[in-house]
Amino acid sequence: MKCPKDKSDMIVVEHEKIELDYCLQCSGVWFDSEELELLVSVLKATGAALSGTDLLRPREAEHAEARRKCPVCGHKMQKVWLGEEPGVLADSCPLGDGLWFDSGEMQQVLQKLGPQDTQATKDIISFLGSAFPFTLGTDKRG
Amino acid sequence: MAGIILGVIVAIIVILLIIIIATYNGLVGMRNQTKNAWAQIDVQLKRRYDLIPNLVETVKGYMQHERGTLEAVTNARNLAQSVASAGPGERAAAEGQLSSALARLLVVVENYPNLKANQNFLALQEELTGTENKIGFSRQFYNDSVLRFNNKIEMFPSNIIAGMTGFKQSEFFEVKAPEEREAPKVSFSAPPKS
Amino acid sequence: MWEQIKSNQIRSVMLIVTMGTLLFLVGYFIGLYFLDSPTAGVILALIVWGMMNLVALFQGDSIILAMSGARKISPQDHPRLYNVVEEMKIASGLEKMPDVYIIDDPALNAFATGRSPDRAAVAVTTGLLDKLNRDELQGVIAHEIGHIKNQDIRLMLLASILLGAIVILAYYATRIMFYSGMSGGSNRRKGSSGGGGGAAVIIVIVVGIILMILAPIMAQLIYFAISRKREYLADASAALYTRYPAGLASALEKLANSNTQVKNANKATAPMYISNPFYKGGMAVNDLFATHPPLADRIGILRAMGGASYADYEKSYEKVKASRIIPASALAEAAPIEARPASPESQAGEIRERVERTRETSDLMWRLSNYRSINCGNCGTRLRLPPSFNEPSLRCPHCGYVNQLETA
Repeated sequence: MKCPKDKSDMIVVEHEKIELDYCLQCSGVWFDSEELELLVSVLKATGAALSGTDLLRPREAEHAEARRKCPVCGHKMQKVWLGEEPGVLADSCPLGDGLWFDSGEMQQVLQKLGPQDTQATKDIISFLGSAFPFTLGTDKRG
Repeated sequence: MAGIILGVIVAIIVILLIIIIATYNGLVGMRNQTKNAWAQIDVQLKRRYDLIPNLVETVKGYMQHERGTLEAVTNARNLAQSVASAGPGERAAAEGQLSSALARLLVVVENYPNLKANQNFLALQEELTGTENKIGFSRQFYNDSVLRFNNKIEMFPSNIIAGMTGFKQSEFFEVKAPEEREAPKVSFSAPPKS
Repeated sequence: MWEQIKSNQIRSVMLIVTMGTLLFLVGYFIGLYFLDSPTAGVILALIVWGMMNLVALFQGDSIILAMSGARKISPQDHPRLYNVVEEMKIASGLEKMPDVYIIDDPALNAFATGRSPDRAAVAVTTGLLDKLNRDELQGVIAHEIGHIKNQDIRLMLLASILLGAIVILAYYATRIMFYSGMSGGSNRRKGSSGGGGGAAVIIVIVVGIILMILAPIMAQLIYFAISRKREYLADASAALYTRYPAGLASALEKLANSNTQVKNANKATAPMYISNPFYKGGMAVNDLFATHPPLADRIGILRAMGGASYADYEKSYEKVKASRIIPASALAEAAPIEARPASPESQAGEIRERVERTRETSDLMWRLSNYRSINCGNCGTRLRLPPSFNEPSLRCPHCGYVNQLETA
């Protein structure tokens, strides 16, 4: 799969049996909806309260950043907030193929977890954090 | 007048001959189908003989405390292989023993999470499941073919032709071992400690 | 009871004959209108039909498989799928193992194709492999093998060739009529037929035009009618082969709940899938134009079966649909056949298995796409590298360890 930002071939990282596409150039992450759905069902099975809908349909965000194209279908993606505002900015495919996180957004991910965020959002974001502790610079927390 | 009667007689004889030939060919076709079906079972049973030593070898290291279960599988396999050239009835009994020994082993395996994480074992388990199913389905097909064939031999009018040309009823491949008919009981107790 | 539900059923044969007659009529009117000789038109129709037959004969199945983006796999690529296909091949008494294909698509679907039971192929989507357990997969594969064994793939190929020939002829005929009508081409036609019977000529022309417009639609309706009927019959075969109607029923329930469409399906290949690839939840599908019977009906019939024989399916079908489905010849020899009991399964186990199945399938798809797979030397995280990747080392994004790579 090609990175929506710099068009280089992404590598695939398997973390806890979930596959994520990772760009070696820009450290961006593509979370495919199939894999996201799989993660949601795993989290549900382990007892975490989670509703897939408030994840897969985040609210529309107004943002000046350039619009990227979905690496799966090529449609222009929408900027969305994941979690309570100000939340984490992500690009969402209009056809539901998946979510794209810029590397800058990845850096914000862990710090942005507020008390009013839903458990679902926290679970997804902490999953991303645990998948890339080195890239996020969080592996030194001990 | 005599010509017409002669013609009718000839026609009847011709029709009868056609019926006899068709019935005979039908019987031959069905007998060949049961033979083919039997060959299918044989292929799968041989496949199972080949898989078992591999399985026992892989499993052995993980389950030292299950020597009895493993030996039962190996013995049942050797017994089944020793009667591999016998008829369906005799073989079915031996194969039934082997199936139930294997089923017990697979139940015990549930107590060994390390084993269930072994890629080699998982591949073998899929092979074994596939082979067990193929044995089951080839038996199903064989028994259905035998049922049809035997019915044809017994029923009028094909029984006359079958009797004249020496067709014999085929034997069913039925598992007689009582354990095989019961579903394996899953035990939820903790793994046995030494 | 093992007599396959052959295409010798009167209704299917009648429908094929009707389609053949439509093709004949289309040819006849083309001849009458453009060539001044009905015979020449019929010959033209036969040539078009024959050429399409030739194409289908030599590569019909490969065209269909290529159109759906299917890839052929070997037993080592996906042992579970291959085993299940072989199990059902044995259960059905099919003589030759069909080729097995995988389609990289998250939607849940499968189809069978090929020109005869000896040259058949079964294709399933990766979504199906991920989401169905072994019993459900077995049900779906049994349904597809049922299509092969019941000669449906041949019947549908025959029907689709006829449909294609009618559509092509009618399409070009109406085009030419339209343009030649504007440039006065019909005057030439009138002159050559002489003075008498002007009204009759006009009637013939009007009938011809109506036929050209209606023939493709009628042919399509017939095609869909054949397709719907064969789906029920394949379900009955699946129950018989697996002795477990609940497996297919449960698979169809998962299909009904999934809302993804098959990406590479089109109108022509639609009747070959196990469920309609275009069906969207909540959308009312016009009954006549549906290639597949409603999933709810199919599930209801399977769920209400008392045993696993054709007679049990027939009984259940009559209860749900208040009509008959299985030909008497297939019911004649029926001996009672029991369905096997359900295998126990927990919900947590089901999800764990689903994850395992997904990884098993994606492993295969990455391998088929020539991705290289390594485990990080420090943390063991599995990393997959695209074929274009040729750096000597790779920093693990999980732990930061630099992995040295063998140069390819």
